[in-house]
Amino acid sequence: MSIIAGTLESTVRLATPLLLAAMGEVIAERSGVLNLGVEGMMLAGALAGFAGAVTTGSLWIGFGIGMIAGILLALLHAFLCITLKADQVISGIMLTLLGIGLTTYFGRPWVGQNIDGFATLTIPGLSEIPVIGQAFFSVTALDYLGLLLVPVVWYFLFRTNIGAEITAVGEDPETADTAGVPVFRIQYACVLLGGALAGAAGAQLSLAFTNFWGVEMVAGRGWIAVALVIFAQWQIWRVLAGAYLFAGIDALSFRSGAVRDAVLDILDFAVLESTIEFLLNPQVMNTYPYIMTIVVLWYVMRRGNLNELGAPSSLLQAYSREQD
Amino acid sequence: MSLSVDLQSRETVPRWLAYGAPLLTILAALVVASIPLLWIGVNPILAYDEIFFGTTTNLGGIADILTTAVPLFLAGLAVYIPLKAGLWNIGAEGQLYVGAIVGTYIALNVGLPTYILLPVMVLAAGVAASVYGAVPGYLRAEYNVNEIISSLMLTFTATTFAGYLLRGPMQGRGGQTATNRLPEAAQLPTVLHPRLHVGVVVLLVVAVLGYLLLSRTRIGYEITFIGSNPEAAKQAGISSYKIYILVFLGGGFLAGLAGMIEIAGVHGRLFESFSPGYGFTAIAVALLGRNGVFRVLLAALFFGILTAGGTTIAITQDVPNALIDVIVALTILFLLTAEFVKEYRLDVEFGSDPEPDAEPGVEGSA
Repeated sequence: MSIIAGTLESTVRLATPLLLAAMGEVIAERSGVLNLGVEGMMLAGALAGFAGAVTTGSLWIGFGIGMIAGILLALLHAFLCITLKADQVISGIMLTLLGIGLTTYFGRPWVGQNIDGFATLTIPGLSEIPVIGQAFFSVTALDYLGLLLVPVVWYFLFRTNIGAEITAVGEDPETADTAGVPVFRIQYACVLLGGALAGAAGAQLSLAFTNFWGVEMVAGRGWIAVALVIFAQWQIWRVLAGAYLFAGIDALSFRSGAVRDAVLDILDFAVLESTIEFLLNPQVMNTYPYIMTIVVLWYVMRRGNLNELGAPSSLLQAYSREQD
Repeated sequence: MSLSVDLQSRETVPRWLAYGAPLLTILAALVVASIPLLWIGVNPILAYDEIFFGTTTNLGGIADILTTAVPLFLAGLAVYIPLKAGLWNIGAEGQLYVGAIVGTYIALNVGLPTYILLPVMVLAAGVAASVYGAVPGYLRAEYNVNEIISSLMLTFTATTFAGYLLRGPMQGRGGQTATNRLPEAAQLPTVLHPRLHVGVVVLLVVAVLGYLLLSRTRIGYEITFIGSNPEAAKQAGISSYKIYILVFLGGGFLAGLAGMIEIAGVHGRLFESFSPGYGFTAIAVALLGRNGVFRVLLAALFFGILTAGGTTIAITQDVPNALIDVIVALTILFLLTAEFVKEYRLDVEFGSDPEPDAEPGVEGSA
């Protein structure tokens, strides 16, 4: 059925920015630093990436510049939250506001331009597999990159010494410090890595998805990435699954008419018709990621046990070394 | 020669810092924000002159400042009151939308004389937003669910759902993503100037009531106690359960009022992006004015001047409106820096013989 293949294909493309940004946020949060500036960093990445690619004529250089823009905003957050021990919530939200303001302000000359974005790379053979072939093996280099990064980030976080140190810092920075782990350096590195991945996610949007720059073009995907981290309970494989789930909902909402007809064909009850139409309305579907995140939070926390959630214990708490 | 930097917690905050910090941060933000102005070839002095003196010296400008300050102040309190109890309400934007949706629905569908309709629709907006806003408070009180995340998620749920309503059940004639215009009876009357609606009285009324509630009542005392020392409050037998829900009920109510006053007083109908992020700027308002209700009001008026002035220079000097977002964000980012200066003393010493084992208080401070 072409709806399924078509939906799957857009799911893969829509999942990439969520995947990149959410993996970056998982890394930052696992070191104990929440960054609510993802939306702003993605916008910075989208504009800087686009402007960089147009100016230099190279998509990859543009992509790199987009990552640098994300890193620069993240550096501000890291300095405020780690060095100055500022409140992570405020700093992150102001970072988003700053990102929206700066990109809208400086993006004006770039509005209305188009670019030949990253081309589709079709892998011969594999792309001919029915249904999933086109979706997974005929996408852009950045989509492959996003997928390949999943096992890499997982290995990095859960199978290397640095990964163990990051977890130690996020769980109990004092003990980690005593054990000789460079707490501040690790937190800085994680926040900057988060910024780089958020910048990459934004650059993917302007260079491989829309192929133009538009005001506030990230359109809430940064916030969905923040939700995704919690939805996935800070686990990389669940981030992958959640990114596909959220992107799948988004992809279905583009085809809500066809989906509704298909569902009504199967569930042919007159009483259900208006309910199904309501539930499959594109705007209503766009609320699902947020609602699902709250439901997951509630479900895991319904016994009031924070440990079950999987959140790093020192999240939101700035670490101060004891004075002697 | 060597340089040693020592960082120590301050025991007391010097007076000049406590009062001067907000002003210094605003000044610093304006200085940095002159870079983007220079970038597009605008003289920052002329731009700031128009923002701060152009708008405050004529009635139309003052009307714009006051009407913009209304949602900023009410939503600012929606953040400030839970903050007093130690909780973050990041969801004022969503509560604003819920209030606007419910109030607009009543205004469009209930036929009542003005003097009954106005209070009914505004109060209904407040109550609906109050219930919506209480969800994060309840989840926090009952299940220890982080209120930052849940209030944030509920914001996007509400704004996205408004998009559904405005394309479906509440869509007006003409096919735009907006409702029909409110009937005359549901629009707030204006005084002195065609843009100055009577809703601005809430600035004064709510400021006084809010002040009395927080500093003269038992509830206010309990809120502040829990916020400043949750453990001691628990020992004293104060129920955080009740307070956590109450502060979100109250915050949501004020944000809902803000949403409906904005619709009935300024726009005359509900449309998709009627709020330019008031609920998020409200976080900045609450922070800048964090030492009292009247300071929240001052902060709201300050950001009101910025917003109204920003609209003016967008027209007269072709400066993108987004500059205001930049200034708001910079103000708060500098305020965070000032908080640090308030709490720690930075001693820089030039010496020839540093102690070999001297450890700086904070890594990277040297």
